[in-house]
Amino acid sequence: MATRTQSTRADHKWGMVIDLDRCTGCQACVIACQSENNIPLNDQSAFLDGRAIEWIRVERYWEGDYPDIKARFLPVLCQHCDNAPCESVCPVYATYHNNEGLNVQVYNRCVGTRFCGNNCPYHARLFNYWEPVWPEDLRNQLNPDVTVRTRGIMEKCTFCIQRIRRSTRGGKQVEDQAFNPACVQACPTDAMTFGDLNNPDSRVSQKWEDERAFRVLEALGTNPSVKYLKQVDAHA
Amino acid sequence: MSNSLIKIAVPVIGLVAALVLAFVAYFFVLAWWSQPPAVLGFGDGPTQPIAFPHTVHVTTAGLDCQFCHRIASTEEAAGVPAVAQCQFCHDFTRITGEESDSPTAETEIAKLIGDPLEGPDPINWVRVHRLPDHVQFVHAPHIQQGFSCSTCHGDIASMEVVEQVRNLKMRDCVDCHRDNEAPTDCTTCHY
Amino acid sequence: MALTRRQFLKWAGVTGIGAVVFNGCRVPDHEIQVQSPVEMPEDLVTGRDNYYATTAQIGAASEGLLVRVMEGRAKKIEGNPDHPVNTGKHGIRAEALLQALYHPDRIKHPLLRIAKGGPYRRIDWAEGIQRLTAIISDRPSSEVLLATPLLRGRVADVVQAFADGSGIRLQGFDALGCESVTREALRQLYGQNAQPDFDIAHASYILNFGADFLGTWINPTHFSRGYGEFRQGDGRSRGRLVHIGARYSTTAAAADHWVYATPGSEGLLAMSIAYTMIDEGTADSDAASALTGGAGARALQAFAPERVAAQVGVDAHVITELAHELADKKHRPALVMGGGPAAAQVNGLFNMMAVYALNALVGSVNRPGGLVFNPEPISGRVSSSSLREWKQTLADMRSGDITAVLVREADLAYGLPGALDARAALRSVDTIVSFSSFLDETSELADLILPCHTPLEEWGTDEPNPGPGYTTIGFQQPAVNRFHNTPGYGTLSFGDVLLQTGSQLGLPDMPWENMREAVRALAQDLHAQGRGSVVQPTFAEFWKRTLERGGWWDTGATADGSRPDLPALPTSAPADSSADPNRYPLHLVPFEGIGVGAGQYSHLPWAQSAPDPITSAAWDTWVELNPHTADEMGLKNNDVVIVESATGRTIRASVYINPATPPAVAAVPMGQGHRAFTSYAARRGANVLDILEPAEDAETGAFAWGATRVRISGTTRTKVVPKLEGIEPARQLHGEELIFVHKA
Repeated sequence: MATRTQSTRADHKWGMVIDLDRCTGCQACVIACQSENNIPLNDQSAFLDGRAIEWIRVERYWEGDYPDIKARFLPVLCQHCDNAPCESVCPVYATYHNNEGLNVQVYNRCVGTRFCGNNCPYHARLFNYWEPVWPEDLRNQLNPDVTVRTRGIMEKCTFCIQRIRRSTRGGKQVEDQAFNPACVQACPTDAMTFGDLNNPDSRVSQKWEDERAFRVLEALGTNPSVKYLKQVDAHA
Repeated sequence: MSNSLIKIAVPVIGLVAALVLAFVAYFFVLAWWSQPPAVLGFGDGPTQPIAFPHTVHVTTAGLDCQFCHRIASTEEAAGVPAVAQCQFCHDFTRITGEESDSPTAETEIAKLIGDPLEGPDPINWVRVHRLPDHVQFVHAPHIQQGFSCSTCHGDIASMEVVEQVRNLKMRDCVDCHRDNEAPTDCTTCHY
Repeated sequence: MALTRRQFLKWAGVTGIGAVVFNGCRVPDHEIQVQSPVEMPEDLVTGRDNYYATTAQIGAASEGLLVRVMEGRAKKIEGNPDHPVNTGKHGIRAEALLQALYHPDRIKHPLLRIAKGGPYRRIDWAEGIQRLTAIISDRPSSEVLLATPLLRGRVADVVQAFADGSGIRLQGFDALGCESVTREALRQLYGQNAQPDFDIAHASYILNFGADFLGTWINPTHFSRGYGEFRQGDGRSRGRLVHIGARYSTTAAAADHWVYATPGSEGLLAMSIAYTMIDEGTADSDAASALTGGAGARALQAFAPERVAAQVGVDAHVITELAHELADKKHRPALVMGGGPAAAQVNGLFNMMAVYALNALVGSVNRPGGLVFNPEPISGRVSSSSLREWKQTLADMRSGDITAVLVREADLAYGLPGALDARAALRSVDTIVSFSSFLDETSELADLILPCHTPLEEWGTDEPNPGPGYTTIGFQQPAVNRFHNTPGYGTLSFGDVLLQTGSQLGLPDMPWENMREAVRALAQDLHAQGRGSVVQPTFAEFWKRTLERGGWWDTGATADGSRPDLPALPTSAPADSSADPNRYPLHLVPFEGIGVGAGQYSHLPWAQSAPDPITSAAWDTWVELNPHTADEMGLKNNDVVIVESATGRTIRASVYINPATPPAVAAVPMGQGHRAFTSYAARRGANVLDILEPAEDAETGAFAWGATRVRISGTTRTKVVPKLEGIEPARQLHGEELIFVHKA
């Protein structure tokens, strides 16, 4: 549904809806994100040390016991909370909420106290314990639009702000679905929908009101910009 | 060690230490508050693989900046023209440098031709205006808002060798953004 | 004092003071250069990104891609929204093509080994092709084998023309036989040579036997497109998916109902469902009559639920219920699919015949929401040879009937079951030539390595198999110039190498000069037909538009509806696996890694680091065991165990206790245990293919990789499985009853 919005940058409120009934846990979003956002290669030791960096990860929860067992998947990324617990604890104001509804991480301000990561109930914030290293040839793939984060700073999902900037630059009008973050773009089942919540006709606004919609850890009152649509349970 | 030696050594070491400290302090003060020190080579323009004179192209030939840097109004980068574009113009206008007063013109223009079979190699221009990695500068909106290239780059038209004239530090950017009511959200440039 | 940079450096060097300061501020060379030293296409203006449409054959899968290219470098892969198979989406392996292109361990120029086992020496392509020509012309052509992976599109035509012209043997290799059994079943049942498509998007009910079609099976991205609609598509009610399989896979997790059936008994279960439907009169009567040879349910009596229940491991009433569900008129259209481990059994063809015959009983053959037939491909295909054929080939190598092996990314030394000792067979041939860009196990044995392009660098076409129900040809164009580009050295396109060699050999019927010409020739044919997605008056315009769109397809070019009569199904089941269940109590269920597959993609860091969806583990091999099974054996998470099959071969891997693993199963991921194949793959985990029994499907001779039984014994060692799970310590929320944290 292509509707034009008469909007300038500050009028946007970016949001995402993830339909868990469509999600298969296939990891396509995870790798698309790593490619787009210059995320360091997660080698084996990163997993063993518990320091793998995935801006979006697919969590798996078990329900029941064999044979009546069910695995549920939950793709978790930065929820871009309106009341973000990470923002209030940053001593150097490196993370804050901008006027487009984005929870922002400013790399050059960050001094790596890790308070924000500790305060994030979604574990969406990740710390660079090492200088990211790519073999020389692989560096050719790095996205010039995204800063390579150095050692000692926090990083997290940005809703692919480089794509937002590119599409809305200079107050450009942007059609719904004219661009998407890398994860949404890759998702083979169309489980993820991204768009402007200020535009009532956008696809994400319509799904936002779905009766299956819920937020993760809603009781905490963080008011995230990401909603999930509950998986439908048919009788087994 | 004799006392007299210590008497000499202490002030000498002190003096050297003071000098070192002063130098380091000078460096940091300059780095933070003004242009990078000239001694680091930021002051004068670097030697380019082809001695390309903007003077001739802009002043004499009367070309507009965007004639060559043709994506400045639409993209992140201003765009460095492909060698083929250089060649095309020189072929079209039949300017080979012979007619120039400059003694180097002919040899420099000849560099464009390259290997007759493989075609010209891309030119490894040396970057003059370099922002840190965590800054995402985009030309397009600045040009679209009507700023002239010389606002930031200075009078390139009169530069035989291009050099950086404005310090392009964050304060410089932010001041200008404030003066012109441009966004000052961190993520305008940092992401 | 005016100080130049050079003077400053001199001064700093003399005093030794400035050096430290200066070094700390040093800007790396690559940041000072405006553009990277790359031979750029001349239409490319520095500083702007371009998107090139191309396509890539990724094993059995095919995806239409857009490649974002900046300054001659590929930056990002995206799905091509126009391409009918993946409509704008893409999977892990497509994304990882970037890492194949820029892989640090790529072979950068042709290599020659003078003495067996000696060091390699760099040679140029002229010498390489000359030596290859000599290898082929020096011996009878029947002594030369060309082994390739599955090939489709133009490169398959070139390979076929080369093999036909030179008379050498040509065999396709895929470690898992790539669904040749499924295809054979569909050929026998419905007369289809091209793999039919599964119209998942429009099905109301799907009964799936074994195939992990949302994770790794054939073309998961394509099937996932349909699955999203199947679940929550606009204007339709939510579909129901029932999965029957031995491992709790991605597809099992997505299913509404997962049923464990004993590996190898899938055909019995399908037959039993067929029997119940025919017996109760709920099946399509024409199909029922044909499939039973006119005898009706009586013919299939042997498969009555109560008779097979014990062998299948599913209660008779559950089988009856499944039959009722499938027969339910509310569940129309219904689709039955199957493959993967269910087809890789010694009775694989029987299983697949039984499974796919159910489609006829529910009237889903060549209908929307069911099996949709595909037209015959325009280009040739190199499909995988069966294990039976490979055994013969290995015997020929040993006996000297094959003296030269040319191999293109067909890793025989890694992928064939260890009991066949393909490595020794390969060692016994005179000479091996590899066209791989990476030093895999087979290439390591090669005397001559002629490294070929990765998909983003070369010309070609790809006709997806299965297609979307009509003729679809993806066009592959180089998105970037070849990365290793030293004149005379570097890499070349595989097709071009064969065409050049062919012309040196003076082969007849090599009509094209290079791959680009081969692709253009095909485009000229398509242009002349004046139909399909691109219709243009001039060929130049047609060529441009086709490349821009990433291909050509014609929604009108569907399969012709005619099909032969249904054959009668067998009335009794063939024998199952042979190993002694008392000595080898567990079914070994090997499964493809979500990224690394059966080991073909283990060299790509993204493929390696994509966590398995169910266990969240990566980079390693693990053994999934049911908690009770593990308990009985006294095993805990991360305990290293020895897995031994009846071949006597063993692997070692850590235990992962998976609550969804059936008690009689040990599930082990494929893809690790490489001895070579770049630093990202080598010496990591264990190769489960190595311990598989070299069993065959009785009828087709295909590799029955799902038919091995194993026993497991503990060791005193432990080794932590690298996984994402548990990276963030789970914390119990006070007052929240929703999430329960179990301490591992």
